[in-house]
Amino acid sequence: MKKQVTLSKEFLKGVWDNNPVLKQLLGLCPTLAVTVSAINGLAMGLAATFVLVMASLLISTIRKIIPPQVRIASFIVIIATFVTIVDLVMKAKFPDLSKALGPFIPLIVVNCVILGRQEAFASKNNPGRAFLDAIGMGAGFTIALLVLGGIREIIGSRTFFGLQIMPDQFEPWLIMILPAGAFLTLGLLLGAVNVYADRKKRLEHESLVAHYKRVGREELIEELEVK
Amino acid sequence: METLAQTETKQKVYFDLTTSPHLHSGWSTSKVMWFVNLALAPSIAAALVFFGLYQILIILTAVIFAVGTEALIQFIRKKEITWFDGSAALTGLLLALTLPPNFSLSATAIGSIVAIGLGKQIFGGIGYNIFNPALVGRAFLQAAFPVQITTWTKPNFAVDSVSSATPLAAFKFDKFITDTSSLALGNVGGSLGETSALAVLIGGIFLIVVGIVNWRIPVSMIIGMFFFSGIFWLINPQQYPSPVFQIFAGSFLFGAMFMATDWVTSPITNKGMWIFGLGISLVLVVIRIFGGLPEGVMYSILIMNAFVPMINRFTRPRTFGALKEEKK
Amino acid sequence: MNKVVQMLLVLTSIGIISGGLLAVVSGWADPLIAANQKAATEAAIFRVKPEGKKYEQIKNAGFELYKVMNENDQNSGYALVYQGNGFSGKIRLIAGLSEDLNNISAIEVLDQVETPGLGTKIVEEPFTSQFLKLETSPKIDWVKGEKPDKPNEIQTITGATISSKAVVAILNDGISRLKKLRESGGLK
Repeated sequence: MKKQVTLSKEFLKGVWDNNPVLKQLLGLCPTLAVTVSAINGLAMGLAATFVLVMASLLISTIRKIIPPQVRIASFIVIIATFVTIVDLVMKAKFPDLSKALGPFIPLIVVNCVILGRQEAFASKNNPGRAFLDAIGMGAGFTIALLVLGGIREIIGSRTFFGLQIMPDQFEPWLIMILPAGAFLTLGLLLGAVNVYADRKKRLEHESLVAHYKRVGREELIEELEVK
Repeated sequence: METLAQTETKQKVYFDLTTSPHLHSGWSTSKVMWFVNLALAPSIAAALVFFGLYQILIILTAVIFAVGTEALIQFIRKKEITWFDGSAALTGLLLALTLPPNFSLSATAIGSIVAIGLGKQIFGGIGYNIFNPALVGRAFLQAAFPVQITTWTKPNFAVDSVSSATPLAAFKFDKFITDTSSLALGNVGGSLGETSALAVLIGGIFLIVVGIVNWRIPVSMIIGMFFFSGIFWLINPQQYPSPVFQIFAGSFLFGAMFMATDWVTSPITNKGMWIFGLGISLVLVVIRIFGGLPEGVMYSILIMNAFVPMINRFTRPRTFGALKEEKK
Repeated sequence: MNKVVQMLLVLTSIGIISGGLLAVVSGWADPLIAANQKAATEAAIFRVKPEGKKYEQIKNAGFELYKVMNENDQNSGYALVYQGNGFSGKIRLIAGLSEDLNNISAIEVLDQVETPGLGTKIVEEPFTSQFLKLETSPKIDWVKGEKPDKPNEIQTITGATISSKAVVAILNDGISRLKKLRESGGLK
């Protein structure tokens, strides 16, 4: 029997603990390529979230019908259908945004976050949980892209969502809106996330050690060290 | 490096276990670094003479921010702070000398922070970096502020025929050849340290004589440049500049003497140094002749830096007494 | 055997349902997309030929060309859509021309993938406004680092010389083809 996690955890794990970009390092191609501005990052994140949620719901609903031998093919066809829908809707209703994101909307098909969640989660869980998981992963993906896009836009073109927030004296660092800036920003962001996560882990460990000492269960500390 | 005395004062006595080399040449890191800084003195003097006293501010800014960044990061990472070993100061100085005259001081500071932060400390500090830190800083500035970093000023004693464009740009876009004596002296547009070939050579030869710089890298670069650009020159002297011009113009000599010879980011074997130097000049000729940019010393050294681990691996000398491997 | 049948059945039905769904969506979206494109072209034509009220495409020109009419239904010039190589990809632009093809009324860059912050300045002021009333004969020329002093010259953007020159080259190419077309009577 699998250990059941609470529903809120099912949602939150995608936002932080298993953030697709910052922790799993999935879907890096769109992450690096489109995040020249906050609006691009947000739009890409929302489009991918939509596809992820719809595909997860559908696949987890019909998971028992799909024979395991053809599951990847089925996933891809379903994902591609939703991606094409998103692409057509954006072209029809938001032509400017669609032009800015260029070929990266059709490429959501091969975004490994989406296929990864189908294989790892939606095909093994009920639709309710699959929905929460997809929303959480999508939110984590969107937040990561928004942060990246925001940082790059502020430093690279002085604006945030198109509004100028840096003074005129600030000379924009063009490298930030070039591909090199994407790698630098993502690398530094990952470093910061790791520093934070490490510190949190160490503090938890120390407080646990202190707690065991207080209640006089020293033998448990050794057990912790072994772990 | 900890001395034995320092080690013993700690509670747990342990032996310093390191891999080879175990022999010490008598040259400490800081002594080497200060010698290289000294060797740059002629270039600094030339920069001040040709471009004015403002340039001293660029140099000071670069050095102060480089040393400060190094100390700050070492403080945050709780490492021993090595203010005075001169390596960070050298990175700052080298960076400043690759910048155009009258470059903005805030951008210089950014370059220094990036050079030390992303070029050196992020890999773990001195000895661990793959790429030459000063060139990493320069490359960052090139990508971040492409307009300012290619805005050149006329040198102080410019005669009418000398324009503010660098000799290489003048040739690339207008097919104008600057005469070699101007190039040698440094009375041309260009980065602070690169314009005076003479000053660079004085410093470089000093380093070779005292044994800090291995002659193989600069010599192989010059031979390679002569050979590769000579081929193009022989094909069409109107289209392609002469090898002598290629060697004296731009930052080729400066790169050959001070940048490519960085101990950390160049090969350790003699054969490897030849491959490294020839490789740099080949990449450089390709960039200068076929690329959109007039100059490419920075990129060609950075590109060859990336190959150094591989060069070291494939030029590893046979262990003494070992038999030659039989071919299968 | 049963398994194979199931596999075929599931994949086929997924394919059919997807196909059907997409057919519905694209049936709804296609006219909207076409309308968007038409509106974009129309808006661009009237931006480069502000006095224009009507336009019609000249079909057999071999490239995208529009004849623009003013409020009295008289020919007031042409709008030319042309493309060529920039610094890092194709640049596609539209140019408004006077009836005798000797003056540019305005240009607008439609598509480009130039370096952000440098080459992308070809889309913006003040670069584009240099083409207002620019003379096209004998050809458009450029100067670098100084103010242009001839009526057929523009100044290139600092740091984006190649992109600026590309715009000029594309315009010269397109206009010379247009002039050839006029000589052979194709504009009638």
